Amino acid sequence: MSKLQPARSDTSEAFLAQAGLELAALCTACGACFDACPMVDHIGLRDFDSRAATVGLRQLAKGETGSLEAVAWVGACAKSGLCVSACPERSSGLDAMLLVRIAKQHALNDTHQLSVKHDPTYFPRIKTFARLQLTDEELAKWL
Amino acid sequence: MAVGDDRVTFWFGCNMLRHAEMIRLSIMLLERVGYDASAVGGPAYCCGTAHDHEPRAASNMAARTVDRFNERATRDGRNKVITWCPSCHMHMSDIMAPGNATHFDIAHLSEILSDRGAQLTSAMSVPVKRRVLLHRHVGFATHVAINSRVVDVLSRISGLELIEGPAHPGHMCSSVAVVPGALAATARGTWSAAAENRCDTVCTIFHSCHRELAALDGKENIRIRNWVHLVAEAMGIEASDAYRDWRTGEAPDIAAIERAEERRYRQLVEPELRRPSPLR
Repeated sequence: MSKLQPARSDTSEAFLAQAGLELAALCTACGACFDACPMVDHIGLRDFDSRAATVGLRQLAKGETGSLEAVAWVGACAKSGLCVSACPERSSGLDAMLLVRIAKQHALNDTHQLSVKHDPTYFPRIKTFARLQLTDEELAKWL
Repeated sequence: MAVGDDRVTFWFGCNMLRHAEMIRLSIMLLERVGYDASAVGGPAYCCGTAHDHEPRAASNMAARTVDRFNERATRDGRNKVITWCPSCHMHMSDIMAPGNATHFDIAHLSEILSDRGAQLTSAMSVPVKRRVLLHRHVGFATHVAINSRVVDVLSRISGLELIEGPAHPGHMCSSVAVVPGALAATARGTWSAAAENRCDTVCTIFHSCHRELAALDGKENIRIRNWVHLVAEAMGIEASDAYRDWRTGEAPDIAAIERAEERRYRQLVEPELRRPSPLR
């Protein structure tokens, strides 16, 4: 059983805006998270300069334009989480996976370097699967 | 233990609605080890993790869902939320809670089942004669030691031989599917490891892996099961798997299709069920 951390902001959106700047300030762009990331192999960036990649990560997390390589990397994040333990600043409070997540959100919504892949059928499909299988009682109680 | 400690909310997420039997089995397993589980999920309890491109909407979804869990904690004494989906669990820990006051704790289903190991073991009295390869990812270990928890649970089943498969990137198959070729590499790695180890079963941990690998059921005489199916078998509970059967060629019965509205079924569900396997 895990205790959840206390609220630090009034909304998740406000928390992410605050956390992006805080985490970026803790990041030294050492490249350790990039080196630990298994998805780097799948996007052909294993030979790319890991320090340069993390400079881009830090820029994106602050809402600034990042390098194409940094954008490709954050866009490929699969939440493996190996970056978290690899980060030498973890003990200072740097959650590298959250930093990458926030960088990706900025690349989607602010710098527009990642294209949005919105699937309008996402919820309708799930609801159809539910109606295909659940009883009336389950539909009423669970959803 | 305080009164109410066994009253929990089982938060199964959105995409588990493809796997109704797995939701029902999870509730039964919780009950067998002494929990009073009330299940919720679907869009009304969305965490917002799939909506990074809509930060305001995602934030509002997070607030609504936290409010609903807070209400269950204060009104019904359900101050524990038991998760299934690793995306929901991580989103709650990392993003929802820091932006919303919470009145509940969270744990993953695998944690609370293995924490009641003695009760679980005594409930699993039916031998399950399978040689099983566990399909694993490296992710989610930042929050829950998921692979070792599931190994702990499955190791309690009499007759079951367990082999831990290669640990793939990501936290589940859907997370690697965004990168071309990564899902195929993951599926290939698991299936070849199962064949090399002469396994007759591949066991998934999460729904998204089950959804992707279900299409391979029967290939090289290897069957696909989720870990809750195996626990249920050991408890003597029937553990059917409609999604796997549909994915390998069967169709839902006509009454179910009509209930879901045939037009919606044809447009939204059938294309998913008939898409190629991740190895093609």
